[in-house]
Amino acid sequence: MDKMNQSSAEAAAIETELLRDYRFGQQQLIEIWGQACALAITKAFPLSSLAKKQPTVLVICGPDQNGSIGLVCARHLRMYEYEPTIYHPQRSSQSLHQDFTVQCEKMDIPSLSYLPTEVQLINDAYNLVIDAMMGPDADCANLREPYPGILVTLKQIKIPIASVDVPSGWDVEEPSQDGINPEVLISLTAPKKCAISFSGKHFLAGRFLPYDIQKKYDLNLPDYPGTDCLIEL
Amino acid sequence: MDKMNQSSAEAEAETIEPLRYLSKGEAAAIETELLRDYRFGQQQLIEIWGQACALAITKAFPLSSLAKKQPTVLVICGPDQNGSIGLVCARHLRMYEYEPTIYHPQRSSQSLHQDFTVQCEKMDIPSLSYLPTEVQLINDAYNLVIDAMMGPDADCANLREPYPGILVTLKQIKIPIASVDVPSGWDVEEPSQDGINPEVLISLTAPKKCAISFSGKHFLAGRFLPYDIQKKYDLNLPDYPGTDCLIEL
Repeated sequence: MDKMNQSSAEAAAIETELLRDYRFGQQQLIEIWGQACALAITKAFPLSSLAKKQPTVLVICGPDQNGSIGLVCARHLRMYEYEPTIYHPQRSSQSLHQDFTVQCEKMDIPSLSYLPTEVQLINDAYNLVIDAMMGPDADCANLREPYPGILVTLKQIKIPIASVDVPSGWDVEEPSQDGINPEVLISLTAPKKCAISFSGKHFLAGRFLPYDIQKKYDLNLPDYPGTDCLIEL
Repeated sequence: MDKMNQSSAEAEAETIEPLRYLSKGEAAAIETELLRDYRFGQQQLIEIWGQACALAITKAFPLSSLAKKQPTVLVICGPDQNGSIGLVCARHLRMYEYEPTIYHPQRSSQSLHQDFTVQCEKMDIPSLSYLPTEVQLINDAYNLVIDAMMGPDADCANLREPYPGILVTLKQIKIPIASVDVPSGWDVEEPSQDGINPEVLISLTAPKKCAISFSGKHFLAGRFLPYDIQKKYDLNLPDYPGTDCLIEL
């Protein structure tokens, strides 16, 4: 099956078209993607499979769209009886991001004020970490604190990482040599070039994508089963 | 499901409070709180509800169960939020391989509604320019009709054309009707004497008083509702199975 993985420019172009020509709204897309991420987590890490007594999940949310998607994912996980905790390394100025943050607070989802540097604390407290820090538009060569520090911590933890769209710190178009090593990747809309040789569990969340865009970008997306909004590649 | 065959102490702890049915005022108050205090967005809520409606349709009318050769569905969308929800429902049905056709009895001035309309057009969902008054044409062309005309805030005693005419047509069709939130033309708080008679009702958030004795298939789409609101309004919502966003009552 011929799957065209996307470059950073194509990913950006598709999103622009969705908003401008297809009149999707950002809030709407983020809700769609966030819910799909949560469903992927329930498939990759079912409640019954979690090792710890409490179904705890740490969700690290960046300040931009990738982080907003992480917030919606956390909210849905809470509904599915997981116990997410959110960590915002950086306050966001985007009002949409702030709305999603309030929605989570009002669902009694706790927030960490800082990320422990002591890796064992993270290993002990959570079953897994959801990396929702950076999307395909991040400039991974020029990361500013606190992200490099967080990525160092994530490279040392023993619990699994699930990344939203692009593993944070990876170049969108190149598989990483020494970046974080997620067990699970949830690609949004279409997979990116960096995921070509991804060897972990790879989910694709993009059923909503209009057929015309799929054809225009030659995406050759697989058929989604039943009413599922995501598929495991 | 009521399990009352245990010791009295356990039985007391396990007594399930009945589901609450909302008045018009309560339904409006909950929505206002969701937007104002919980900072949900209208676009976000409509997407959540519309998807849940589509899932309800796939459960009530699975593709394999449809009588006609093509899995056609007529979706009648009013100009306000109920209609927007119908549009999102139609879009998801298209993704699920149904063949929805949309009918807008009235143009909407709301830009959000227009956005949802464009999303449907760009998914190649056709639109009817008028609804046939010849009922047999509707019976022949579609497997079912989704009524997304009016929500709980409609003034059902003072409906303006074209709605009374459409409701007359809907009372005569032989194919099933599925209504979104409140059957159009019904009073929100009273079961209807002579209104349309849907086979399926998809209540959004919590059921309304008019649905208390609804005898058809009744779905509840409202898993997203924050616990604090559920407690505040004493909703006693049932537990949703697995990761389902809707439940059949």
